Amino acid sequence: MPHHLLGVPGSYPLVEALWLLPLAGAILCWAFGPQLRTLAGWLASALVGASFVLAALSWGAATQTAGAALGASQALGSWLPGFDFGLLLDPLSLIWTFIITGVGFLIVFYSIGYMEGDRAYARFFAYMSFFVFAMLTLVLSDNWVGLLVGWGLVGVASYFLIGFWFQRPSAVAAARKAFVINVVGDAGMMFAIFLIVANVHAIGFGDVFSAAGGLSSTLVFWICAALFIGAVAKSAQIPLHTWLPDAMEGPTPVSALIHAATMVTAGVYLVARSAPLWSHNPQAQVLVGTVGAITALTGAILGTAQWDIKRILAYSTMSQIGYMIMAVGVGAYEGGVALFFTHAFFKAQLFLGAGLVIHALNNEQDVRRMGGLWKKMPFAFWVMLTAVLAITGVPGFSGFFSKDEVIFGDLQFGHPVLFAISALTAGITAYYMFRLLFIAFFGEYRGDVDHAHAPGWTMNVPVAILVAPSVAIGAALLSGGENSPWARFFAAQFGPDMAAIAHRPPAISEGVTSGIVFALVLIGFAIAWWRYASPGAQRDAGERLEGETRGMPAVLVHLFYVDDAIQLLFVRPAQRLGAFFGSIFDPHVIDGAVRDVVFWARWLGTLVRSFQTGLVRAYALILVFGATCFIVYYAFAAGALH
Amino acid sequence: MAVSIDHYVGLAAVMFFIGVIGVIVRCNPLVMLMSIELMFNAANLLFIAFARVWLQNAGHIFAFLVITVAAAEAAIGLAIIVTTFGPERYVDVDDVRALRG
Repeated sequence: MPHHLLGVPGSYPLVEALWLLPLAGAILCWAFGPQLRTLAGWLASALVGASFVLAALSWGAATQTAGAALGASQALGSWLPGFDFGLLLDPLSLIWTFIITGVGFLIVFYSIGYMEGDRAYARFFAYMSFFVFAMLTLVLSDNWVGLLVGWGLVGVASYFLIGFWFQRPSAVAAARKAFVINVVGDAGMMFAIFLIVANVHAIGFGDVFSAAGGLSSTLVFWICAALFIGAVAKSAQIPLHTWLPDAMEGPTPVSALIHAATMVTAGVYLVARSAPLWSHNPQAQVLVGTVGAITALTGAILGTAQWDIKRILAYSTMSQIGYMIMAVGVGAYEGGVALFFTHAFFKAQLFLGAGLVIHALNNEQDVRRMGGLWKKMPFAFWVMLTAVLAITGVPGFSGFFSKDEVIFGDLQFGHPVLFAISALTAGITAYYMFRLLFIAFFGEYRGDVDHAHAPGWTMNVPVAILVAPSVAIGAALLSGGENSPWARFFAAQFGPDMAAIAHRPPAISEGVTSGIVFALVLIGFAIAWWRYASPGAQRDAGERLEGETRGMPAVLVHLFYVDDAIQLLFVRPAQRLGAFFGSIFDPHVIDGAVRDVVFWARWLGTLVRSFQTGLVRAYALILVFGATCFIVYYAFAAGALH
Repeated sequence: MAVSIDHYVGLAAVMFFIGVIGVIVRCNPLVMLMSIELMFNAANLLFIAFARVWLQNAGHIFAFLVITVAAAEAAIGLAIIVTTFGPERYVDVDDVRALRG
């Protein structure tokens, strides 16, 4: 069978190098941590930064076309005859590589200051570099198995980093939870790969996509659904989202890089990468779009009821990824990837800004014990303010363009209900983000840290750099609709897939939908202002926040009972099964079998032992008896046979 | 009456069974060794007799080998008896039961 390639085959040493440099950083930091000391952070950032430079230099290779092939394809070897693996750098993976290495570089650099004085300084940077390598494996792989390998490795890296402070039992529990839930997704992906291999006899993206037209639509739906299980677990979609808020136990740079900017968006990458499968299957599109929209709404609602600054941001991440999943699900691939791209900047900025606050206030994360911080930490305030304006979609900021494209995409591809849900979510997003900003930065300070110590330049500079793209990159790349630089960049990648989806022109234009969304954003902002920032609310802010804590509806306190449901449906039965095996099956059946073997072996031994009298004459008698038996046998029985 | 092969076989069988009974019933290791020698010689007698019947020298050669092995066996047996019982007057193999399970 001829192999179909997505990229132009050739030798691309730059792509190989940008893939392996972070791995070298991980190995060096791991092996020479004690010798490197604080140099570990500089080394890791330098290698991730070098990887970013190589990615930028590979721009030409990634966007080249030859016939139907797009991008760069580098063969590396084969798993089995006919099942090759290699690297593929096309516009889609290039965008992801930029974020992984670019935003990754800024966050690793920020960690030099944030992790200062930690006992396991070098170990942290080894894990971070390893994560970058794993994520690059995921997005650069040109086949499903390589993608799954990267998928599993980022899960491991995430496990290591959530549980980085393993002295804290809550961190260990969160790491374990994240890992176990992600393995559910890995199993789904593996099932999808089994289906693909059984029906197509190939694992390469190119082979599978070119054969997809001949598969029955039921089969394609099941492949998509099984792949989507992986995306649901990794990208924190309903109902497997519960690990993401808990994952905030890790250090804040980890939350920024892994649990906001890159790893959790792997599900979006997966669906966008498999666009040729999804585009021909309306059922799979509806499934993914619906799950994404429900997740967006649920995450936003839960975000309004949190007090921990990082958990607010975690639910916000869940909600934003819901948007992205919905967009790539309905077919607005460019919009979904654009939201990923801009979200990586402003969400990393939000987390790093929150990290500045947390670092300055001696690890205080409860917004009720903040307040009035804009006077104490003006830099952190401006960082948070610009990021909040970007995420809520204020016109001109980057989030405005990407979110608009996502929400309008629902109408464009004929899903008015999803459009309504996502527009409503935009309003709630404005409410909870401004709520965070008003409670933490406005009014009077309610905590007990006398002197907030200022973060060093290594922390401030990366955050300042992030402000530029999160404010301006939307206007630069996304404005102009069909002719925007972004649309032209992805025309060759997604054009055929988007054209394959049957859709009619929507009744209202993009300008009208962005007007509706912005009106809802203003309403959300007004409610947040009225509840937390108006002069009346500021006067007795402490009591009001306490009252809100007490009056929080139970359904929100219990986070829609998803954790409880998982506990009831899966964890408890698993524990009961374990208890059954532990108290009945293991002692009575397994141990019982072992004990029986021992009993009979001993019985047989006792029996045979009694023959060993130690008397030479007894042995002689037995010998004679045996010899006699032989003689008798050969003399009579054997002779009779002839 | 001519002496036929049957007579040799009969004599050898009698000698062999005397040896077997001797090994089984006697307690004195020296007598047991002698009984074993008796069995060897029963076998030797048959080798010689059948070599004569079939006119083949292999039987003679085997008899020599058996005599050699019997001498070696007697030497080892006597050495074991001496090391086991030492200079005692009364010897009984039933007293040696170190192999009892």
